[in-house]
Amino acid sequence: MLPNNEVRVPHPRFAQSAPRDITAEFTKAASKLNTGQLVKDETFTLFEAVGALEIMDSKMDSGYIAPGENLAQALEDDYDVQRPLTPEEVVGLMDQLLCHEVAWHKGHPLSQTLFTSIYLDKLLWPVPRTMDDARFDRVPSDSPLVNLVLRAYCLALVKACDFVHLRVATEYYYEEEDFVSQLYNRNLLSAFDISHFHRLLDQAVSWVAEQSDIDQKLKDAIHCRLVFRHEFLSALQQDVDVLETRSAENFTSCIAQLRPLTETVTLGKPVPDAFSLKIQRKLASTVPPRPMVNITSDDALAHLKRLCQDAIDMQQMLDYTGPSNFKTAIWTLLSRKPQPSIYIRCLLQALIVSNMTILGAVPVKQFLYDELAELVLPANILLESSTDEVEVPSDPRFQIAQRMDGFMKRFAQPFVDTVRCPCLNRCRMRRTLCHTLVDWDNLQMEAEEIDLELRTLSAEPPLQFQGGEPTWSFPLSSWAYHQKLVQFRLILQMGFELSIYSPEELPGMYWYLSHICSTHLGHIDRIRTFTVAARKRDLMSTGDRSGSSSQKASAFHRSFHALERLTTHIIAVDAFAIALHALYVVLARHNVLPSASSPQAYSTDRLRYEIRMKPFIPITLPELVPYEEYQREAGLEGDSDATILERASKAITEARKAWEATLANGAFIDDPSAPNQPPPSAIEEDWKRDVKNTMRACIGTSLAVEAAKKALSTASPTEDKSLNLEVIVPEVGSKSRWHDWWVVPQVSEKKSKV
Amino acid sequence: MSNAPDLRYVRYENSRENEYVAAMRQLISKDLSEPYSIYVYRYFLYQWGDLCFLAMDDKDEMVGVVVSKLEPHRDGPLRGYIAMLAVREEYRGRGIATKLVRMAIDAMIERDADEVCLSSGDGCLIPKRGGLEGMVADLYVPGQIVLETEITNTGAMKLYERLGFLRSKQLHRYYLNGNSAYRLVLYLKEGVGAIRTALVDPYGLPPPAPGLSDACGGHSHANMGSLI
Repeated sequence: MLPNNEVRVPHPRFAQSAPRDITAEFTKAASKLNTGQLVKDETFTLFEAVGALEIMDSKMDSGYIAPGENLAQALEDDYDVQRPLTPEEVVGLMDQLLCHEVAWHKGHPLSQTLFTSIYLDKLLWPVPRTMDDARFDRVPSDSPLVNLVLRAYCLALVKACDFVHLRVATEYYYEEEDFVSQLYNRNLLSAFDISHFHRLLDQAVSWVAEQSDIDQKLKDAIHCRLVFRHEFLSALQQDVDVLETRSAENFTSCIAQLRPLTETVTLGKPVPDAFSLKIQRKLASTVPPRPMVNITSDDALAHLKRLCQDAIDMQQMLDYTGPSNFKTAIWTLLSRKPQPSIYIRCLLQALIVSNMTILGAVPVKQFLYDELAELVLPANILLESSTDEVEVPSDPRFQIAQRMDGFMKRFAQPFVDTVRCPCLNRCRMRRTLCHTLVDWDNLQMEAEEIDLELRTLSAEPPLQFQGGEPTWSFPLSSWAYHQKLVQFRLILQMGFELSIYSPEELPGMYWYLSHICSTHLGHIDRIRTFTVAARKRDLMSTGDRSGSSSQKASAFHRSFHALERLTTHIIAVDAFAIALHALYVVLARHNVLPSASSPQAYSTDRLRYEIRMKPFIPITLPELVPYEEYQREAGLEGDSDATILERASKAITEARKAWEATLANGAFIDDPSAPNQPPPSAIEEDWKRDVKNTMRACIGTSLAVEAAKKALSTASPTEDKSLNLEVIVPEVGSKSRWHDWWVVPQVSEKKSKV
Repeated sequence: MSNAPDLRYVRYENSRENEYVAAMRQLISKDLSEPYSIYVYRYFLYQWGDLCFLAMDDKDEMVGVVVSKLEPHRDGPLRGYIAMLAVREEYRGRGIATKLVRMAIDAMIERDADEVCLSSGDGCLIPKRGGLEGMVADLYVPGQIVLETEITNTGAMKLYERLGFLRSKQLHRYYLNGNSAYRLVLYLKEGVGAIRTALVDPYGLPPPAPGLSDACGGHSHANMGSLI
């Protein structure tokens, strides 16, 4: 079905031209048409058709006043914003506004959320020039509960929205998918300093405290709501300054207030009349009238709590301890379910890189060099040459520095982008990876060119394997290939997470995953071989004379350690994929694996393979597996069921061991210079939980393999191929789906029908 | 699934626009939070009325409709698109939607088979449809058919997957109600995936600024650009 929410952008008008009457021209032109004849402009697109409105249709034309409808009544509400409110109503209104605020955070437009509030409408329109202007009405209400307490709450809420809007709009997000930035010509009080809002909130807090005729419970309820607004505003104002302040104090206080707030929701009395869709008719917008979005208090408070907690936990990744730790922390935090809110994701983008600096402290160049040193070039002249030190153009070090500078300029941005990619929503992340994969394929080729030049300049001695051709390390392109293989694997795994694959594709997709993993493992072996050779050369040439030898030794040690961790992890993924592949092959062979497509389908397996491989077709390395080979390999042709299930058993045992080892390695590489390691952080706990869930999925797979073995052993060979098994493929989010990336089938004996 | 015997399947006719379009809009709008404008219907029916099929009951009331189009995809091969599919609630579960979709797909295949025949068989090299002169004949075979369906609409998803469609991607919050969608794709001939097309996603939202790739960090590319 077509989407019905295409962005409706008004066409740019050529202003300045004076209006003129075209009735005669129009009538003349129209008279040449037959009745019912349709004229379509060549350039009229589907996009425009979907965005078009039918004027005078009340469902589409938000400004349409029906015959007999009173203009004033159609546009204005009778609600009196000066009317005195009971404390219960104030609490109710605050909570209704909070729900609307969160709905906006979650991606709904202001016109369907906060801007349905008559109170906010009066505050913000006409645009207030001073803080004093920003009140509910020209004539102040007599009730301090309204003109002081509710007003302070509303103003602070709007200012909080201003901070959120500012942060999100300056980062990368998808309009209408992640967030709707439209303000409908309103201003979110951005000109006014936060101190005004804090002062008003303080006044309101004091006033409430002094009241003796308000029930204590309600006083407390109002109090915690005002304090929450105070703290939330401070927390949002801090924004990227958290890099300096390192303070989670405000967000922590927010969470502290959310508890009494949650407990007192029931005290509030909603005031539905204070919200109206009529306001939509006045907002400068080209969208049809759309319903108010109502989310529950429970949803809203849970969302806010998560936002605050994510912001607090973000503290744990602000200290830079090397590229792999940094990437692991970002990935883990952003993979939380539900995904962190758009505000958090945008704040993280800004923290990851701003002004060419990582976490406000590490220049992008250093970040890239650290990454290269960790994976391919420990203690290498390529990273140690610097133009600043050597100024003689004929010196190879000068030329190396120049080439490396060129490399840095070309690669820093795409590299940092791979780190920021998890800030996108999960769907966009996978799609973006499909695009960056192609970019990195090209980058790898460019890196090869630079490698060729560098190996001459650095006089790298080649390695020779068993009388073969001399082989060089190609460090930069090796690193680029590694990046690409990581992306390759992620695209496949995100496919499982987003439920892209149908059940009959599962054997093939897990085969492909293991194929990519084994390619990757081979590549890491190649890198390691060259690093070992470099280390040997280094030891022979410098001996113990050089003062920097211990530094060099630790650089090599770090790199070997990083490669080892990487290897363990990929072996774990590979072994698990091999096990699931094998299990699914047997289930598919015996027609007990559910299938989404029917025998009457238009498509063929070959065509479906082509669709699935589409992101990988343009990639030169690793080469696309031809369909025939894929069919042979993924179908395990020629292997008996027993052989395959034995393979599954062995692989899952190996997988469990490798995941144990991965867990033991930990999320982060310890900093050897730090005297004592900090206690495990919340991010680390998340990471561990993820690995443990994977291990649960391994156990589930073992059970499924055993069930299949048992059914196979009891099946009579004379009957048809089907086994007495029931296979359920658990959906993402269901209890039996231990991990999004591991689709473990539930295999059980079919209940015999009596 | 057997088709109800009391139903008649007909192809849309432009001459009966008045009666058909009104019924069609009513049928389709039922499932939408916000109606499509008349221009959306005209956009499809004016250009591809022959790819629209209707199911009528014994009283000649419309109970099902499929609306689709077929045109070159980013200057590449022809691509079919199933835009709307609706069956009246009390008629669901009788295979009407499947039948309608099959008719649309068959019509796309047939329509192009005709054109290939016309452009290579009888010496007339100008295809019937205007605006496409000069294209290579074999590009006329529709390479693929695509559509989107709401993630929660398991009925529709099952229907298309039974016909051989595969999910190619998930589209985050694609619909007005905030629900996500799947893009479903069916290839009808080999080699479609290998044809490289522009990276712009026609159904995705317009990029925030021209010249930025779909890759992440678009806005911030500006500050990355000052690298040199």
